[in-house]
Amino acid sequence: MVVIILDNGAGTAKVGYSSDKQPRVIPNCVTKAKNVRTRIFIGDQIDECKDLSGLYYLLPFQKGYLVNWEVEKQVWDHMFGKDMLQVDFNEASIIMTEPYFNFRSIQEAMNEILFEEYQFKSVLRTNASYLSQYKKNKDDSQNPLCSLVLDSGYSFSHIVPYFKGKKLAEAIKRVHVGGKLLTNHLKEVISYRQLMVMDETYVINQLKEDVCYVSTQFMKDMEIARMKGPENTVMRDYILPDYTHIKRGYVRPIEETTGKAQGNEQIIRMNNERFAIPELLFHPSDVGIHEMGIAEALMLSVESTSKEMQPHLLGNILLTGGNCILPGFEERFYMDVRSMAPTEFDISMTLPKNPVTYAWEGGVQLANDKDFEKLVVTREQFEEYGHNICLEKFDV
Amino acid sequence: MKRSQHRRVKEQQRRILDEPARRRRQRKALEALEQDNFQDDPHADLKMSKKAPKFEESIEIGNIVSSAKKKKKNRTEYFKYRLKKSFAALIEEEQMLSADPPNYFSASTPPSKLPERHFCAVCCFLNISTFPSSYICVSCGSRYCSVKCLGTHQDTSVKCLRTHQDTRFVSHSLAHYYSVKCL
Repeated sequence: MVVIILDNGAGTAKVGYSSDKQPRVIPNCVTKAKNVRTRIFIGDQIDECKDLSGLYYLLPFQKGYLVNWEVEKQVWDHMFGKDMLQVDFNEASIIMTEPYFNFRSIQEAMNEILFEEYQFKSVLRTNASYLSQYKKNKDDSQNPLCSLVLDSGYSFSHIVPYFKGKKLAEAIKRVHVGGKLLTNHLKEVISYRQLMVMDETYVINQLKEDVCYVSTQFMKDMEIARMKGPENTVMRDYILPDYTHIKRGYVRPIEETTGKAQGNEQIIRMNNERFAIPELLFHPSDVGIHEMGIAEALMLSVESTSKEMQPHLLGNILLTGGNCILPGFEERFYMDVRSMAPTEFDISMTLPKNPVTYAWEGGVQLANDKDFEKLVVTREQFEEYGHNICLEKFDV
Repeated sequence: MKRSQHRRVKEQQRRILDEPARRRRQRKALEALEQDNFQDDPHADLKMSKKAPKFEESIEIGNIVSSAKKKKKNRTEYFKYRLKKSFAALIEEEQMLSADPPNYFSASTPPSKLPERHFCAVCCFLNISTFPSSYICVSCGSRYCSVKCLGTHQDTSVKCLRTHQDTRFVSHSLAHYYSVKCL
């Protein structure tokens, strides 16, 4: 059987056949380039664009939920079409992920598009964390009963507890800090202090991925960042791309860091920005978002489950989503959770090799599960029973 | 005498934002963090010429193809129309449905129990010596850590403009450091 797994994130879509080793990670958006006026770039077509300055984004998601279907349809058409997967819809099933507490009208629209517009043979809609914890439990020899998934993505971060493969909906917690907010905040900070980069989402996102890290000793790092000269070990020079000679931005080696530009290049001096930006994940109140940080939210989520479950949840925490790649993330998250959790509980965290594609990989394993057929809704069933059967069958 | 007059003038010119205005500002700042793009659509002024041939469309063979195409197009139009719901509309709909607690609203987290940390709005350094409370701009309520940073703040914020020609606090290097260059 042919199964397509589509982890449809707001930032990137992870897509591929269940027979593939790795998914294709493509930007889930349509982009317009300032200097290319003859065409638009759909999804990963942006790789064909040579000048990536001043990119204009059309995003299908708003605050984590699918609202702009026109854009999404373009991306999907490109994804399933002849340029990429060349899907034979009549023969193919699809595993599709969606956000937590997805709105009813979005779900219905999704059903209609998948069954009526594309005419997939069968569909399974689920959450990304379901696939992650499924994979974790399959790979784990001890076969734990509970797992707690942190899913920190583009629009927001969620804490999702699972018990025997069922999510505990009442204990799900959401923090409105994600990769998009971090990049936007970094853009603002740099534009205020150094260089006007408000238009350069793409470049600054790369900058964030290249030099930002999560501090494990925030106050100490702040002190170091205040120092001048070689004592300041935080400071880095980032050379911006000009898309003629320099195709991609890069960090200058520490030995050569002077804070001064050489020749014609443009640089951004990254000092306390390097760790003060990702810090928002742990302290959203730093920019006036009146919410808990992810570690505190995790404890809140754990506390709202039953007493017996709590040690098991804390003993099996899984970190997924792009923000977990930030250096120091796991260490800091562990430190914060450890300091808040009761001392008698052991805390164990797992950071997969690739936290971005982990859910997709879980989808591959699920597609090869002997019970997979029982989880899906076929097109005939949908034609017979409509949206209700999807409501009954899918745990989303 | 002259000096007190000067001060009076300064006080009058200074516009102090009240609490709701400050909250409004804060909300706007948060909304800005959600923005997809800062700039305008670079292709907005592109005019598609109707006369220009569209090369991707093949010459139609018979009516069947065209009607099928039309049908497909109609469907897409239908979807566009039906699915046009903004995030705000979705939230409203969800509130109207008011399903039992495990829902979108129950998942949100309350404010942190930890005390807020205050950063200097200019240099972003925590003012460690005076932590947790640093100084506040009288006009807009932004935090700052030193006279130097207050100077920069007043120079760069529209509402907190300085009322007299006092730039002695801003060193030249700092002014240069914060000068906005274009990429």
